[in-house]
Amino acid sequence: MKVTALVQGGRQARSPAADMEEPWQQERRARGAWAAGVAALLAIAIAFPWVFTNPTTTSIGVFTLIYMAAATAWNSFAGYSGYIPLGHAVFFGSGAYTLVIAAQDLHIRGGYTVFALVPLAGAVAVAVAVPFGLVALRTRRHTFVVITIAIFFIFQLMAFNLGITQGSSGIPAPTPTWPAATFNDRFYYVALAILVVAAAFSWGIRRSRFGLQLLAIRDDEDRALSLGVRVSRVKLTAFALSALPVGMVGAVWAYFIGQVYPQFAFDPLFDISVALMAFLGGLGTVSGPLLGALILEPLQQYFTLQFSSNALYLVVYGALFLVVILLLPRGIIPTVRDRVASWRERRSGSTALASGPDAAGGVLSSEMAGGGVAGAAGGGAVSPPGPSGPAVRRG
Amino acid sequence: MAGRGLRIWSPLVAVCLGGLMLAACGKGSSAGSSASSTPASKAATGSQSSVASKKPVVIGASLSLSGDFSADGQAFQRGYELWADYVNHHGGLLGHPVKLDILSDASSPTQAVTNYEKLISSNHVALTFGPFSSLLTIPTSKVAARYGYAFVEGAGGAPDVFAAGLHNLFDVATPVANYMLPFAKWVASLPPGKRPKTAAYPTSNDPFTEPVINKAKSLLQKAGVRTVYYKVFPAEVTDFTPIADQVATTGAQMVVLGSVDVPTVSAFMQAFEQQHYNPKVFIASAGPDQGQAFLKAVGTSNANGVMVPNGWYPGVRIAASEAMVKAYVAKYGGSPSGINADVAEAFSVGQVVAQAVKATHSLSNAKIISYLHSGVKLSSVEGPVKFDSKGENIAALQFIFQWQHNGHFVQVLPTKAPGSQPVLFPKPAWGS
Amino acid sequence: MGGAVAKAVVDGVLTGGVYALMAAGLTLIFGVMDIINIAQGILVVLGAYLSYVLSQDLGIGLFLGLLITIPSLFVIGVAVEWAFMRRLQERERTALSILVTYGVAIVIEGILELIFGPNYVQLRAWYVNQSFHVLGFYLPYIYVFGFALAVFLLGVLYLILYRSRFGRSVRASLQDRAAARLVGVNVERVSTITFGIGIAVTAAGGMVFGATNAFNANSGYDLISRLLTIVILGGLGSIGGALGAAVFMTVIEGLVAVLWSPVWATLVFYAALVLVLVIKPVGIFGQRAARAQ
Repeated sequence: MKVTALVQGGRQARSPAADMEEPWQQERRARGAWAAGVAALLAIAIAFPWVFTNPTTTSIGVFTLIYMAAATAWNSFAGYSGYIPLGHAVFFGSGAYTLVIAAQDLHIRGGYTVFALVPLAGAVAVAVAVPFGLVALRTRRHTFVVITIAIFFIFQLMAFNLGITQGSSGIPAPTPTWPAATFNDRFYYVALAILVVAAAFSWGIRRSRFGLQLLAIRDDEDRALSLGVRVSRVKLTAFALSALPVGMVGAVWAYFIGQVYPQFAFDPLFDISVALMAFLGGLGTVSGPLLGALILEPLQQYFTLQFSSNALYLVVYGALFLVVILLLPRGIIPTVRDRVASWRERRSGSTALASGPDAAGGVLSSEMAGGGVAGAAGGGAVSPPGPSGPAVRRG
Repeated sequence: MAGRGLRIWSPLVAVCLGGLMLAACGKGSSAGSSASSTPASKAATGSQSSVASKKPVVIGASLSLSGDFSADGQAFQRGYELWADYVNHHGGLLGHPVKLDILSDASSPTQAVTNYEKLISSNHVALTFGPFSSLLTIPTSKVAARYGYAFVEGAGGAPDVFAAGLHNLFDVATPVANYMLPFAKWVASLPPGKRPKTAAYPTSNDPFTEPVINKAKSLLQKAGVRTVYYKVFPAEVTDFTPIADQVATTGAQMVVLGSVDVPTVSAFMQAFEQQHYNPKVFIASAGPDQGQAFLKAVGTSNANGVMVPNGWYPGVRIAASEAMVKAYVAKYGGSPSGINADVAEAFSVGQVVAQAVKATHSLSNAKIISYLHSGVKLSSVEGPVKFDSKGENIAALQFIFQWQHNGHFVQVLPTKAPGSQPVLFPKPAWGS
Repeated sequence: MGGAVAKAVVDGVLTGGVYALMAAGLTLIFGVMDIINIAQGILVVLGAYLSYVLSQDLGIGLFLGLLITIPSLFVIGVAVEWAFMRRLQERERTALSILVTYGVAIVIEGILELIFGPNYVQLRAWYVNQSFHVLGFYLPYIYVFGFALAVFLLGVLYLILYRSRFGRSVRASLQDRAAARLVGVNVERVSTITFGIGIAVTAAGGMVFGATNAFNANSGYDLISRLLTIVILGGLGSIGGALGAAVFMTVIEGLVAVLWSPVWATLVFYAALVLVLVIKPVGIFGQRAARAQ
């Protein structure tokens, strides 16, 4: 009994470090190729509306980019800190309302000027996130989840009842007069720009000292605190930063959709949707949420279109949903990476195999040293804990 | 959490299904659209051969076939299909058969926007019909406007829809301002001794309901009815007891409830009965119009005397409507009284567009829009249709219905309208 | 106004009993198994539908029917635990439990909608719409009976938890799963049975819910955020806390609805949670909740 528990504990303690491996950590020499790959992907994204000019496709493209940015931003807090917020829809909604209210007050009727309000929407989302975080981040784990839900409903109800949001009637967004054939492209590129910002944040956080402090909090917050991480400040900063892209895409969504209603701007299923995307791709990885949203949003639209007219659809989808979660609980990116790693190990013989899991920790440690991270702060996050390590307590 | 369960988790599963579906995907969107429009194709094949031989006119719409609005969305689908059958049996549109291309949006605006984009730019439909719910009408009508498409709809009657200033938008349903008009007139016409002196107005926070109740309140206040309670409650409240009990303690002689669904009405009725409070008049903006669904939730004996406004009912004495009711029962079964008013609204949308096409001799959306704006008087299963500059139907009929003796749903107002029966007043005690 | 206020307090207390009944299972599962059960709302609806079938088709009374519905839901709970919950890996358990129970909720909702359709129904019995007069108030029988049922079942749960050997294992697991394992508690078995019990109690909550609300397969979603709020406020795993928190919340909500406006009442419901957690992060009634905090 005891032995099983300990073995399980030990195994689980290691897996976080292994999962978090990004290619740049595993093969630093490949960094150049990595950068080239990112540039190529970006080029594909930029060229996409020129190749696929059909507005249906670009319309799905806009929504996909919006969710990619939101999932990436959500993950840059949730994936790294281990806190699971279900209230990021607050930032989405705040951004959406900021855009339509500001456009109304400034008498902007349409055109590109409206996009100038997008950064403002992001700023408002951050301004909302600070008090939100100050309150919610006093709690941990499940209590944190529930308090974010509660705060979410407070915001939704305020949108329903305050004069400034014009209640259940909602607020119309400006109507641009661009030609229908290329109408979506403007929104596409603005959403893409926000996505680049969100991904850069996520990547930057991931490889910074700040990111390691977040990981330390994720593995054992009390230990991180005792090791000198300024836990409250780190958490709040990450939380507020993650609100910025979400608020911005909320604004783009509002302008694109054309009308903001409380129940759609503050949608309780937004966070479940985004969490699902992050999980599918791989929670806590930079590329996972991108991949997750890239797969889910278009398929979601396609499947709703095709099959949502029957209740049996609920049963089948729910069942498949469970199967996927249970078969692929760690997400695509970590699973694929492990497969590739073990395939390579098998090819290169037993020496690599023996040093497998520990090598991961080793790379991280050296990366830390190279990045000038204070050893004490990062240590809690990455040192493979012994049998009595934090993982047991997690159980 | 709100009930739009469908949309969100489906994708994950989609990944899983993806493999299985590859073959189907290979056929692309054509497989999809033909699947969703199967009933319409059946309708088309069933039509007269002379019409069927010509190239069909494809009409697109996105409806909420699942999710929050699914009950209404499905009723709308039936209405559109009945109209397509009807038109194909009567020579089609300019001699061409009509084919419907109906997509599902699972009650989500994001999906609805994509759907209209797809209908217009990918499926190249000739005309579009509106979706269900005011909440989806503005986003989708903006898409249609971008392409210059006329957007005739039957379910977007909230004032903000018209405030958006969309030139291509037309709503065949009754404008909100007229919704409670026959009711207010009737109350005002009662002799002062019998007229209720006080009224309570609990209303749901909803873009359609709130304006209806506010209008009713101002009309009734003008008629000398004192307001003793007016409060808005959230749309997704789960426990109505404190609200209903407070209404009961005011002892108002009349309750005008701004409800959007059956559970709201049934919760108020239950609490009223428990508090031994029986107003002389009880009218709810929606819920009691749901036929058997309403009776099942509240119990037949409790329904006695409950009133509800609506623009149409299965027994309305309009020839086109009687034909539609017959066709409905033949196609979907059931009894006439089980037909949702949404069916008639959807059918009316089709009729209005058909008349515009016939009059302009073209499928040009620009011509249809200017024709509908010309102030011409059209007809539908719901009665006359005439649009003002905002696209509201200013000629629409409005009735008040009441549940009477053992679950009979009868038209009671306007008093002089054909088919109206006397109002059961005052409302009998609960359970009698 | 005074009468309305007093009535609101009475209503709040009685309604609180119903909520406690619906939340009791959630707090047990939450506390012992360390998972957030998003399916709780739909399980309440499932319990309501079971009572509906028994009373409509077989003519079995609502309270008598509990003798069938409670064991039925126990079996369903054990099956769900066995099929899904025990397969959740320890890492990301919180988030995974949200997603998995959401999936379970979708499946149950789909099955219920297939069987019963989208129309609303409500449980019927003579005491559902009747009330009796005492101290100037009309008290609805169903709420009084529901409250009594809540007190009775919560008492039974309390006895199980504090007066039995199994209860000691549950409480040990509540405080620290790993430590419980070390002292020889079969945490897996305790989890399975706790999940079963938690779901079983929900059958009673569902019956009272179904008698006080018209419901359909979609009705569960509006409940879950309220139940979670009550459970956190009461302290994870605390049965008495759930009752206290439920009554506290519904009384406050009722008072705000009467004195101010129903639209703000719901907001105050959530704001109360936020306020309490700012002052006391473990909840009003929570001591044990300190575990893993």
